Amino acid sequence: MGPDPDEELVRRIGAGDQAAVQAMVARKLPRLLSLATRMLGDSAEAEDVAQETFVRIWRHASSWRHGHARFDTWVHRVALNLCYDRLRRRREWVTDELPEAADEAPLPDAGDEGRRVSQALQRIAPRQREAIVLVYYQEMSNIEAAGAMQVSVDALESLLARGRRSLQAMLIGDGDD
Amino acid sequence: MADERKAAHGPMNAQRFAALADAYGSALHRWPRAEQAAATLFAESEEGRAILATARRLDVILDRHHVEAPSRTLHGEIVARATTQLSQGRRRRFWWLGFGLAGVGLAGALAGLALVTVVTPDAASDHYVMDANATSFGDAGPDADTEDL
Repeated sequence: MGPDPDEELVRRIGAGDQAAVQAMVARKLPRLLSLATRMLGDSAEAEDVAQETFVRIWRHASSWRHGHARFDTWVHRVALNLCYDRLRRRREWVTDELPEAADEAPLPDAGDEGRRVSQALQRIAPRQREAIVLVYYQEMSNIEAAGAMQVSVDALESLLARGRRSLQAMLIGDGDD
Repeated sequence: MADERKAAHGPMNAQRFAALADAYGSALHRWPRAEQAAATLFAESEEGRAILATARRLDVILDRHHVEAPSRTLHGEIVARATTQLSQGRRRRFWWLGFGLAGVGLAGALAGLALVTVVTPDAASDHYVMDANATSFGDAGPDADTEDL
């Protein structure tokens, strides 16, 4: 693992540098909003999660030390925990197995492909969704994503493959491959 | 860890290539770094191209999901909250530093007092020896006479 690209910025924030605060928000807010929107399927809730994540960033900036994880990985873990808090509040089943009620029936073609993808993401198990969001959309390496999810790389690959198979069934249909 | 995984999986074959495409999709830059070189070579084969084409069908659809850029309002709210929170944090740290220094000072004073008590011999007997008004019968100072009267 090379040097952490965020470390210097975090140090400056801890020292109260306003320019660093602006730079951190510009750098992380789009990523955090994307992560939370795809995890929750709700843009208003995603904004709340992004705000709460930054509150934790400001709180820990002066004491944050580069350890085993990069700052970006830590930030993702914080945001994911906040997402899971909200999913639990919705009484969503937090497990890597597909919830009982979920079905992989193809989603109707509503004309808005983005909306279909969002619906499909909400229908797969949260841990599979998390794996796909981190690796596919957030472009994290397999090692970083496994670190953020606190699972082995093999477990991550299993979650990714199962998630993609479910998405394929919903968005393309079976028997097309 | 990545090298260990590469060694564990051995050279790239159709089975491993398909497993990686199943997990990571058709874009090789998302694949494990340690296996990208071997995967790039295998991707040129007919089998490799077919596997990637299948994975690409889902990727094309997944890529249609976009998240809107954050609004200026959200950006502004987050920055404003940072200003408040960071200044509060600095103030809190200042007070803790003050308490810490006061604590260290108090501990030093107590330690000094304890040291003086332990190291210094009993001063009370010396005091009476040095006192010109003291006798073997007790205090013979002017007040003692006054009390008798």
